[in-house]
Amino acid sequence: MADTSASPVREAAGVMQGSPLAAGIKGRRRLLRDTPAALILIAPVIVLFAIAVIYPLVETIRLSFWDIQGLRKPAFIGFGNYARLFADAAFRNTLLTTLIFTIGTTVISVAIGWVLAMLCAFAPQQTLPFRVMIFAAFGISEAVSGYMWIGIYRPDAGGLLNSLIQLLGFPGFAHAWLGDANTALWALIVAASWSGVGLPLMLIFAAIQAIPKSVLEAAYMDGAKPLSTMRHIMMPLSMPGVRVAVFINLLSALRAFDIIYILTGGGPVRSTETVGYFMYRESMTQFKLGYGAAATVILLLAVLIISIPAIIQRTAGAK
Amino acid sequence: MTSSSKFVPEIGRRTLLAGAGSAALLAVTGAARAQDPVSGELVVLNWLGGSELEMMHAIHKAFLAKYPNVTIREVAITGQGDMRGGIRTALMGGEVVDVLFNTWPAFRKELADAGMLRPIDDQWKSFGWDKLVSQSWKDLGSIGDKTYGLTYTFGDRSGIWYKKEHLAKAGIAEPPKTWDEFVASFAKLTNAGYAAPIAIPGKYWAHAEWFETLLLRTAGVETAAKLGAHEIPWTDPAVKTALTKYAEMLTSGCCGAPNTMLANDWDGEADQVFQANAKNYLLIGMWMNNRAKNDYKLVEGKDYGLFQFPSLGMGHDDTSSVDAKELLVTTNGPNPKAADAFLDFWTSAEAANILAKAGYASPSSNVDASLYGEAQKVATQAVASSKLQFVLGDLLPGDLVDEYRVQLQKFLQDPSTANIDTVLAAIETKAQGSY
Repeated sequence: MADTSASPVREAAGVMQGSPLAAGIKGRRRLLRDTPAALILIAPVIVLFAIAVIYPLVETIRLSFWDIQGLRKPAFIGFGNYARLFADAAFRNTLLTTLIFTIGTTVISVAIGWVLAMLCAFAPQQTLPFRVMIFAAFGISEAVSGYMWIGIYRPDAGGLLNSLIQLLGFPGFAHAWLGDANTALWALIVAASWSGVGLPLMLIFAAIQAIPKSVLEAAYMDGAKPLSTMRHIMMPLSMPGVRVAVFINLLSALRAFDIIYILTGGGPVRSTETVGYFMYRESMTQFKLGYGAAATVILLLAVLIISIPAIIQRTAGAK
Repeated sequence: MTSSSKFVPEIGRRTLLAGAGSAALLAVTGAARAQDPVSGELVVLNWLGGSELEMMHAIHKAFLAKYPNVTIREVAITGQGDMRGGIRTALMGGEVVDVLFNTWPAFRKELADAGMLRPIDDQWKSFGWDKLVSQSWKDLGSIGDKTYGLTYTFGDRSGIWYKKEHLAKAGIAEPPKTWDEFVASFAKLTNAGYAAPIAIPGKYWAHAEWFETLLLRTAGVETAAKLGAHEIPWTDPAVKTALTKYAEMLTSGCCGAPNTMLANDWDGEADQVFQANAKNYLLIGMWMNNRAKNDYKLVEGKDYGLFQFPSLGMGHDDTSSVDAKELLVTTNGPNPKAADAFLDFWTSAEAANILAKAGYASPSSNVDASLYGEAQKVATQAVASSKLQFVLGDLLPGDLVDEYRVQLQKFLQDPSTANIDTVLAAIETKAQGSY
């Protein structure tokens, strides 16, 4: 291709070497030249993303417009599944349960993660093995921690929590925590929060570690006590980590399934059935794939709504 | 002569040709038969677990010893509760299997309606299963005039498990035979220090077992079958009577706090009876026998036993709830010959006796009944002498069975007459949209 950058026409139009316009043109040319290489490099990611994310997403949305019951022949029903979904009292119940579960687990796990991150940051070097143990404990999978919490909540004498309550001399407080519709959701929230503490702990701890040493040294030189340093320097400067932790915990709580499946199976009397579990029950147990897909799309919309503020904030930060 | 001389050689040529052709055909088919033993990979879809899986593997091993040219690949579905979803997912996800294990008659129909099952009427004749398995089990595995399922084990779901030392400690000489004796035993057991006479696992489904046998004993198998097919509504007085009887049991102090019932599944409650010695009676399937032997290391007949549901004197005491597990073969399985041989093997004395030793009943007449322990003998006798009805929960459509179990959970929380009406009305509302 002929080089036209120094043509008389362009010079006449005022495109001078070194001007912003010339730089823009040069940039576009470089972009055109580099695009094929960039596309080749990014292609595997695009293909994988399309297979792993875009296709399932499109397929789920497509399925949500079909009536699929068991192995019967599917029938197109348009928005029928969505209409049924909002008329279904069990689904409406899951929306409220999901809201309580999501907010509860996020608040508790981020708060505990924050406190633990502060303690870890202040702990002397010799406590490193213990800090590692704290981090490792929260790396346990939700399924495994679910079985652990079953042992803790067992209603009989073998249950750790009830045994502890009896040992402390309050036998009247022993309870079937997972069998009572009034306590099951909160028992579940505590268990899910415990297993969700790891991520906020690490994110907030990383944010604290990123605080410039000079700031902490200046505070020390000015005579700030540890509590003041924590309150006026570490807590405000760890906020970016807290925000990310809140965002990620909200999303994972919205999608929660494993721990609910293991601890309560959505019961008793559907008191712990979240949208995620409802989706599983309808799709997998009853094999109403279209109906379950419609619930999945609703959940997806909820996740998107939650994500928008974070995305806007990230975009604004990038600018 | 001429004609005949002409005729004879012609016949001779034809005969010769026919003979040669037949010989060639025989040689080919004979060779094919010789080269076509039961061989190749057999794909088995399985969802069983624990000691039941060990029993199944023992049978697989015995089958492979008989058919050394066969290899078994197991497609294992893991999960808890109703496993139909996992099986459907595997099949629709592209798993091609030869054999699958099933326990839900409604699911068999669903698979057959989708054209996934191969009828086994020809195999039934050629393998001579009629001589080994009774017509009632064949009927159970049939849809219309075609047979699809070969029952390999069955269970008495109206038998109550108990630990012998518990009754002895409470001063109860014999397991209760009548409803009144049964209800009266609650106070004796409670006074003996047990937390609750009856272990009711209400977390998922096992609280429905009591309702199902009570329905049979108060209304008979015909009514239960009609309810299963929704030919009578759930608000029918017969259904209410069964639930009222259940309420009588609950208000007589049978089962402790509802929250405790709803916190445990069947295995957790079994632990309470057989390990923790905190509860006494458990109404659950025959797999309990295997668990008691293998997991709790108890001796059948010495440490624990099974007694048939007490008689209510309402004219239907000759009824029992029954479950069965069957083998199905698929239309797209690549190795139908091995699949058929596999089914046949489960009727053999070898397989039936492995089942019996593991605590399971086999419908095959090849089984050595002397291998059954005391509990299994009680169960087998009860099944043989009762009018049978398949477990109701496994006959109901998927979303109805879910509502049925949730509403029975609500009933456990409040067994009052007013709530019985509410619960039954809720199930009926769901049933109206489920068939």
